[in-house]
Amino acid sequence: MRIPEYYEYSCPVKIVSGLKALSNLPYEMDQLGVNKALIITDQGVISAGLIKQVESAFEGSDCEIAAIFDQTPPDSSSKVVNRVAKLYQEKNCDCFLAVGGGSCMDTAKCANMIVTEGTEDLMQFQGAERLKKTMKPFIAVPTTAGTGSEVTVAAMIYDEETNVKMAFTSYHLLPRVAIIDPKMTLTMPPKITAATGMDALTHAIEAFYCLQKNPVSDSFALAAIELIMGYLEKCVKDGADEVARLAMANAALLAGISFSNSMCGVVHGLAHGCGGVCRVPHGVANAILLPWGMENNLEKVGDIIAELAPVLGASTSGGAMEQAKAAIGAVRDLGERLKNLCGLPTTLREAGVTEDKLDAIAKVAINDGTATFNPEDVTYEVALEILKKAY
Amino acid sequence: MENKSGEKKLSMTYKVKETIVKTSLLALATTFEIVSKHSPELKAEIADWEDGRVFSLGVLPDGPAVSLKKEGDQIRYLGKGYKNPKLKVLFKNVDAALLPFTGQMGSHTAFVQHRAIVHGNIGEAMQASRAMDIVQTYLMPVFILKKNSKRPPKLTGAEMLLKARVMTTLGIGLLLNMTK
Repeated sequence: MRIPEYYEYSCPVKIVSGLKALSNLPYEMDQLGVNKALIITDQGVISAGLIKQVESAFEGSDCEIAAIFDQTPPDSSSKVVNRVAKLYQEKNCDCFLAVGGGSCMDTAKCANMIVTEGTEDLMQFQGAERLKKTMKPFIAVPTTAGTGSEVTVAAMIYDEETNVKMAFTSYHLLPRVAIIDPKMTLTMPPKITAATGMDALTHAIEAFYCLQKNPVSDSFALAAIELIMGYLEKCVKDGADEVARLAMANAALLAGISFSNSMCGVVHGLAHGCGGVCRVPHGVANAILLPWGMENNLEKVGDIIAELAPVLGASTSGGAMEQAKAAIGAVRDLGERLKNLCGLPTTLREAGVTEDKLDAIAKVAINDGTATFNPEDVTYEVALEILKKAY
Repeated sequence: MENKSGEKKLSMTYKVKETIVKTSLLALATTFEIVSKHSPELKAEIADWEDGRVFSLGVLPDGPAVSLKKEGDQIRYLGKGYKNPKLKVLFKNVDAALLPFTGQMGSHTAFVQHRAIVHGNIGEAMQASRAMDIVQTYLMPVFILKKNSKRPPKLTGAEMLLKARVMTTLGIGLLLNMTK
């Protein structure tokens, strides 16, 4: 194990995980000294009946749902964030409760920023560590097992006026509590389960070999990978398996803690490009690109990738480079098995990317902050080469 | 620690470190100006920047800082301090800034090790970072570039001539920029 010259780590989120964990929601609100929640969710969560589960958790308590915002789009925007912040103030809410995937969480984080800072202009907070005030209490209830947003310091919001994707990172953005209840992910269809699970695997693997890795984030990454290898296929095969769902929800959370503290690399940068240019779902793009991104970094961190071989169920015979290649092979095999199980694409072509878009994706990827943390230099040529291989 | 008049009392060691950082920032800014006039690579890198984009490099909480502006196909040094920048690359303290400026660490490592942060758009920060890497190629000795870069640059004949030009004109440039 390499000990970094210097590292920082933080995850002050209280984790409440398990069967019927959602029933503890009013108790956790009480512990935070709040009782009027604004729920931020989306139409998918509503139609899956998951908000009813949240509503029933409030029964018999002194806490109430002051308002529900259910119009969160897949890529949330500054207009949406301002609407949410306004609703929070109009209804005299005292805490944010995000119920959904990454977009709902990001919307809640940014609306919290608006309310706390008393502004409508998110732009001024773009970048890292610009928030100094203590935010309003924020509780996260994930309904996917992939983004790990419930434990990450980051939020991404689109600004309609400038056509710019704004990224924010601050320890103040973290929720105070994350409630991980397997019943909130039971309705996820197999293909989305597979894609979000591969998103979590990408978080964990990139966090493990990218430049900001540290012993603490490593331990979370390894635990996440072990859970994903043990339970992702089970979830895809049988979505009603609550134990497998709980394991995957925890895997996503652990991977989230890991990459929130050690960042991701070229795979994520390229996946952001695929999403921005060709609307490829983030988890699908990560699933396709992960083995190619690992290969790209073999020369620089082959010895570190080799450490993943046992936990990925790959061969541990031979030298470091053989083991690293076996680890990459295991990731590729998992992708193939998921393709057979639920049709998860294994090439960019299958995901609907056309060859003429690769150039634009590469240009997005080199301007993605994750390039800084990738061991290998992410130039335009390198990004394009990986995309061509994954095509 | 503050003295009776409310001014911070700084040790000699701190003052020396701050002077090194101040001079390094000025050298980097001046090299930026020189290289942007002659390097096709840097011109290509900044081609997509909107005209008038201002970015600053500085040290927190109120340490030295410089501001640069894109004008046409070149970069111009605006002067010391923050001149209404759209983007700020900030080192958390003087020690954090000293490491990359004295060649002890690459600029990407400063970000990896949480020693530097960005205030502004991350995409624009990445563009600025690549541009700074190009500029560093002309400012730093080869052995430092080899040690600190993810992929050490290989200079062409024309680029080596430009590096020689930077080295010979940097002193004059520094003198001219010192008053800004």
